[in-house]
Amino acid sequence: MKYCKISFLLIITLCLICSVAFAARIEISAPGEQTIPLAMTNLLPMGVGGAQPAVATEFQEVLLGDLQLSGLFDMTDPAAFLSDADRLGLRRTEIDFYQWRMLGSEALIKGGYSVTAGTLTIELRLFDVITQRLLTGRRYKGKLTDVRKIAHTFADQILKSLTGEKGPFSAKIAFISKRTGRKELYMMDVDGHQPIRMTDHRSIVLNPDFSPTRKELIFTSYSKGNPDLYRKEIYTGRESRLSLKQGLNIGGRYSPDGREIALTLSKDKNSEIYLIGTDGTIHRRLTNHYGIDVDPTWSPRGDKIAFVSDRRGNPNIFIVDVHTLEVRRLTYQGKYNATPAWGPKGDRIAYSRMDNGVFNVFTIREDGTDERQLTFGKGSKEHPRWSPDGRFLIYSNDLNGGEKSIWIMRADGTGAKKISAVGGNDSHPAWSDHW
Amino acid sequence: MQKLTITGVVILFALSLLVSGCAKKPAVETSEVQETSQVEMQQEEPAGVTDTKIEDKPAYDAAAYDAAGVAAAAERAAAKGLKRIHFDFDQYVLTAEAKSILVSNAGLLRAAAAVKVLIEGHCDERGSDEYNLALGEKRALATKNYLVSLGVAAERMNVISYGEEMPIDPARTKQAWAKNRRANFKVKR
Repeated sequence: MKYCKISFLLIITLCLICSVAFAARIEISAPGEQTIPLAMTNLLPMGVGGAQPAVATEFQEVLLGDLQLSGLFDMTDPAAFLSDADRLGLRRTEIDFYQWRMLGSEALIKGGYSVTAGTLTIELRLFDVITQRLLTGRRYKGKLTDVRKIAHTFADQILKSLTGEKGPFSAKIAFISKRTGRKELYMMDVDGHQPIRMTDHRSIVLNPDFSPTRKELIFTSYSKGNPDLYRKEIYTGRESRLSLKQGLNIGGRYSPDGREIALTLSKDKNSEIYLIGTDGTIHRRLTNHYGIDVDPTWSPRGDKIAFVSDRRGNPNIFIVDVHTLEVRRLTYQGKYNATPAWGPKGDRIAYSRMDNGVFNVFTIREDGTDERQLTFGKGSKEHPRWSPDGRFLIYSNDLNGGEKSIWIMRADGTGAKKISAVGGNDSHPAWSDHW
Repeated sequence: MQKLTITGVVILFALSLLVSGCAKKPAVETSEVQETSQVEMQQEEPAGVTDTKIEDKPAYDAAAYDAAGVAAAAERAAAKGLKRIHFDFDQYVLTAEAKSILVSNAGLLRAAAAVKVLIEGHCDERGSDEYNLALGEKRALATKNYLVSLGVAAERMNVISYGEEMPIDPARTKQAWAKNRRANFKVKR
């Protein structure tokens, strides 16, 4: 597999003043409220090796896409750039910060690249224009095909330097697509590029989840005639059936420590939430009710699980304490609340609610207060999942006449944009931890 | 014009009901004939040896002598005659209509004792995928339990839920959704 071969080296030789606080350090939980004026210059050819403008252009597109999606920046218009933008000078003393101050930029990205014998080197610096200091410097080496990954990785680094928390852009998104005619498991970049098919079950594959500790996915497949839970090692491709009880083995979710999996089993003729070990043995049954209990999602501390149940009539979200098994109801509004996803920061739970046949994404605090609707209008938006830093949500949207696609938005509902390709009929996205 | 087509459709539907009604009856009768025929045959055999060319119903004739043949016929009848049932939105309670269909299905299954069936539970596309998988299973189990209460052995029936994964009609209309909320039968031998 191609991913295995990425011999990508991240050399932190230039990380001199990495952790210096940025003058305008901002609150990560409130994207859009305060933006940093940022100037991003073109990547310039450096050293030996000819210029490869296509490489520079692709890099800039990817990086700019991530930065814009974050909603944290107010990009300085490149048309206004002055002479310093065309100079390669990457050292602090070589930069005319005065020019950038005149344009109102508070942060500046400069970089150079070279290609020698198939090896791509990209050197990047992020400066604080006001204090004229280097915030982060990185040199990346890889193959020409690694250019997108380098751009995503640097975007993560920029967010870390400016906000204290790494971005989620170099992670992966797993999803289910029907592009072969049958539902199979796929993986792609956070911006929807480079999709790769992971399974060839020619059956029905559903609902993937990433292991938080290993490069591994779990999912449900009808490959052997029953909806069983499978595990797949991403780099080796090795695959095994993890839970094959008669009836449903669905909605598997790794615990935050990666040691257990919460899932729905119906081996006793009724769907209940269970915890199983990574060897597939049942550790514990968490629910006990004749109604439908499905869709578990762990709190980040691993002490509670939110799930969907129709025990009070309509599908609603409940929370069960993993230790005491005490159950309490979380959602009261609406008639159909489903697919909860507990945010990695612990404060909010996202889910989708159906009104008049259309799903929209909502979030609510763990105590049931402060419910907010994040999406509106046409198209059913389902299966919200969080980015590992809690800044973004991904979900499926069937805006295009029944064909589903993967969308991404900020955690406050702004900046919604489609990332998966046309014609895939894509659903069930899941965002990996930092890759 | 539209009225005409509607009446046309209604008439067609009524006709198809009649036809399917007719088609089904002999299948049910088969088993009745088989039970009584042996006695009658013994009585008739000495007298009526002359006339043997009933080529219309060779299967039934064979059935009269051959239990395996009868079973095969009943199996065929079950494979053809088991009808799917439908559910209301987000419900797994059997409707009166569904129950009456299951009564007829139970008759076919009791007649074909060798037949095993897989009961598939399905949902319409509205609703969450996992919830619908659980709901589809509830529908399949409700169907199975009712058939058990009508005297079909539980071991002969397995259930599986496909949730909303296998719609009959992918359209996004009320009619399509109603069609897709169903439990159907697959005969296994």
